[in-house]
Amino acid sequence: MTTIRLRVNDDAVTREVENRTLLVELLRDSLGLTGTHVGCDTSQCGCCVVLVDGRPAKSCTVLAVQVDGAAVTTIEGLARRPADGGAPALHPLQQAFIDCHALQCGFCTPGMVMSAAALLAGSPAPSDEEIVHALEGNLCRCTGYNNIVAAVRQAADELARGGADGLPASGSGSGSGPGSGSATAAATASTPAAGSVAKEA
Amino acid sequence: MAEPSGYGRFGSGHAVRRIEDPALVTGRGTFADDVSLDGQAHLVFLRSPHAHARIVSIDASAALAMPGVVAVITGADLVQAGVGLLPGPAPFKRPDGSPAASPPRRALAHEVARYVGEAVAAVVADTRARARDARDAILVDYDPLPAVVDPHDAVAPGAPLVFEAAPGNLAAAMRHGDAAAAEAAFAAAAHVVSLDLVNQRVAPAPMEPRAVLAHHDEATGRLTVRMSTQMPGGARNTLAQDFFGIPLEEVRVLAGDVGGGFGMKTGLYPEDAAVAYAARRLGRPVKWCAERSDEFLGAVHGRGVSSRAELALDAGGRVLAMRIRSLANVGAYATPTGVAIPLLVGPWVQTSVYDIPVIDFEFRAVLTHATPAGAYRGAGRPEAIYIAERLMDAAARRLGIEQAEIRRRNMIRPEQMPYRNAMDQTYDSGRFASIMDQALALGDWHGFERRLAESKARGRLRGRGIATFLEWTGGNAFEERVTVGVGGDGYIEIYSATQAMGQGIATSYAQLAVDVFQVPIERIRIVQGDTDRGAGFGSAGSRSLFTGGSAVRVASERTVHQARDLAADALEAAPDDLEYAAGSFRIAGTDRAIGLFELAARQPDRQIFVDATSSVEGPSWPNGCHLCEVEVDPDTGTVEVLEYASVNDVGRVVNPIIVRGQLDGGAVQGIGQALCEQIVYERDSGQLQSASFLDYAMPRAGLVRRFRTEMDTSIPCLTNPLGVKGVGELGTIGATPCVVNAVVDALWRAGAGERALSLQMPLTPERVWQTLHG
Repeated sequence: MTTIRLRVNDDAVTREVENRTLLVELLRDSLGLTGTHVGCDTSQCGCCVVLVDGRPAKSCTVLAVQVDGAAVTTIEGLARRPADGGAPALHPLQQAFIDCHALQCGFCTPGMVMSAAALLAGSPAPSDEEIVHALEGNLCRCTGYNNIVAAVRQAADELARGGADGLPASGSGSGSGPGSGSATAAATASTPAAGSVAKEA
Repeated sequence: MAEPSGYGRFGSGHAVRRIEDPALVTGRGTFADDVSLDGQAHLVFLRSPHAHARIVSIDASAALAMPGVVAVITGADLVQAGVGLLPGPAPFKRPDGSPAASPPRRALAHEVARYVGEAVAAVVADTRARARDARDAILVDYDPLPAVVDPHDAVAPGAPLVFEAAPGNLAAAMRHGDAAAAEAAFAAAAHVVSLDLVNQRVAPAPMEPRAVLAHHDEATGRLTVRMSTQMPGGARNTLAQDFFGIPLEEVRVLAGDVGGGFGMKTGLYPEDAAVAYAARRLGRPVKWCAERSDEFLGAVHGRGVSSRAELALDAGGRVLAMRIRSLANVGAYATPTGVAIPLLVGPWVQTSVYDIPVIDFEFRAVLTHATPAGAYRGAGRPEAIYIAERLMDAAARRLGIEQAEIRRRNMIRPEQMPYRNAMDQTYDSGRFASIMDQALALGDWHGFERRLAESKARGRLRGRGIATFLEWTGGNAFEERVTVGVGGDGYIEIYSATQAMGQGIATSYAQLAVDVFQVPIERIRIVQGDTDRGAGFGSAGSRSLFTGGSAVRVASERTVHQARDLAADALEAAPDDLEYAAGSFRIAGTDRAIGLFELAARQPDRQIFVDATSSVEGPSWPNGCHLCEVEVDPDTGTVEVLEYASVNDVGRVVNPIIVRGQLDGGAVQGIGQALCEQIVYERDSGQLQSASFLDYAMPRAGLVRRFRTEMDTSIPCLTNPLGVKGVGELGTIGATPCVVNAVVDALWRAGAGERALSLQMPLTPERVWQTLHG
């Protein structure tokens, strides 16, 4: 076992981990951050992408001990929490994914969003070609991808207007994962938060 | 046109943003592996490395001695425990009239392993890593046996048998039509077109691997199984009745967010039963989460049908008869869907949108030492439509009739509706020529020559493809139960036993409820995935909206009806004097009114509850015309899909943005089969060579840059109250033949001749290059 200290969604974390523990196992099993998914065992699908020191990483292929001292951002930490402690505002990418119907089952979505966040942090005005290239390591089986590309473009435009880099500002992350451990009935999409009418059609 | 105001903007027909999405984009979804229980153990499966082998012995002593290991379970344990088998292929027949035959399927292989990846033992430990470690320490003594994975090899004389009671490896077979009439038609035909077509096996590959968390509660004696499934009710029934032999009430199946299904998550898998068995035996929660290799090896594959297909035509291009002989590779265990899909569901739509009077079909379900086959998006219809559309193009070339024109000459006309096809299936509606004409205009079909010249100038081979087609939806399960609870807390909770897996069911149902209740969509909660609250067929065969959505409409209307009587009491008025609008009842012509939620709060239990079961009258027959243009690089054989245009008759539309998403996303799956996807077995050893995303080519971003997708909503389905038609599979069904026909066209124009006509999927650069250069 090895003790590691890191920042996850801007919260300080100290854990004892086995040397073979993967970053994604640390996130999901130990920290309860189940928004990061595992969709394959060969580092192809990208469902597990998180940011490590601002760069995209497939967390199924990174050992937890390798991120000792690093800052990790997961999908749970992307929404910006306002200083007054109110409800976090969606990151422009998250909003764009909703607006453009860029997700169906939603399983690949966290990895897609994090890969796109990394792209926009380094390339604020990417071409469609660059977006497609940046998403090469992320598989989606539902959407056919075009709506995802459109969402990334929309978010890029939005960020350009706002002048932000798309990454959560230091000190603004959310460290609380979703509560798991409940076996109660899953109310799929029982949240009453409905969207407004989209532009399409 | 002015937007309607208030709640109406969230009713049906509007592109409402999905209510599912805020949770999913922030990592707050609840997929099966996201839930854990205190004290849960982890299970992993040891899988057979042989395609066919006698299991001589299993020595788990070293594994059991390892730290944290709780149990190692084998097939012999299941036999000893007296648990049951998984369902076989009944009620089909073999060619000699005997019952369908398939090896008895246990949750874990017993005595014989029949495909690479069949689960042979289950290891349970306190952590997943320790379970994996222990798995490596199990010693299995196998006696390898000869194996056969190709269906043609399997029916050859002397082939190794998968099951002694299935001579010739034939699990089941069906003949349809009139062989003598077909023979006469072929003898008299001016033209006969014949093709050998392989619809290769593919992996459904939803991004979320299967996961199961089972827990047996000693106090109540009930088993609760949380799993990633499209059919919670079916999984519960099979688990309780077939596997454990216990009352249905003792099993509860829960499903949260399901990360894609595409047919693969229908029915109960052996692994599901093994996890449930382990939880009951060990008295603690047990979780299994499949790895991707578990999915390629152990989850069903789709398609896998080899056909000799023939058309008899008159001199004018009218089809006189269609004759098909097919072998379906159903794998080592014939499942109910694995047999029904090729033997029944495909044939139902085999004549498609064409008025073909005579058919002669023989479909055989062949056992091989391969992973069992099952449903994959389209399930039988893609295979049938692929055959029909390849034949139509081949006939067009043989007779020198333009591709759209030969289709037009054979199409069923609107005045023939309702139309009964040669398989005795009745289409309620459809204007196929009109749909095609709209598509030809949308895709500028007749402007192709100019673009062909442009491609040629760039050294590229251009081709255009067309597919006109229909499909059957509904799974022939037309009844749905819905419960509605109007709460005094100001929310309407609607439970449906259909199961979302990405289709946006919650949003569409909420829109339908808004239509009836006329309240803000935020007041509607859609709940699914709990067999204690209602069990039904689940979601498959594009049935959810037209059966489940219709049931939501009916149940909502009954709720308002029931509430009207309660409101009449409250307002001391006659029910007929009340008007319902915008969530409240008002005595007509007065200002005396009571709100629906206030009314609910006054009831015992502070709610108005309605439990309503309703049925639609029949399947829906969505249809479409898809066009595409491709460019082939003659130096590399690489295919690029440049243009994709389609017009789709989907009946009425509840949410256009969702329907479009289904059509386009489905099309990319179909294009994946056309261009890159295939399950590959090594012919002699039966090893699965495409068992990971490294080896199995999934479509990636950029495959098709732009879809021009139009919906004709003017032809409602006549057999359900919403007038909607199932749209989940339409894109997949049309896209595969459309793209293949375009590549054939490009290669034909380049002079590849018969080699182009006999092109087989997937159209990898190597295969295209070989076809081009001989």
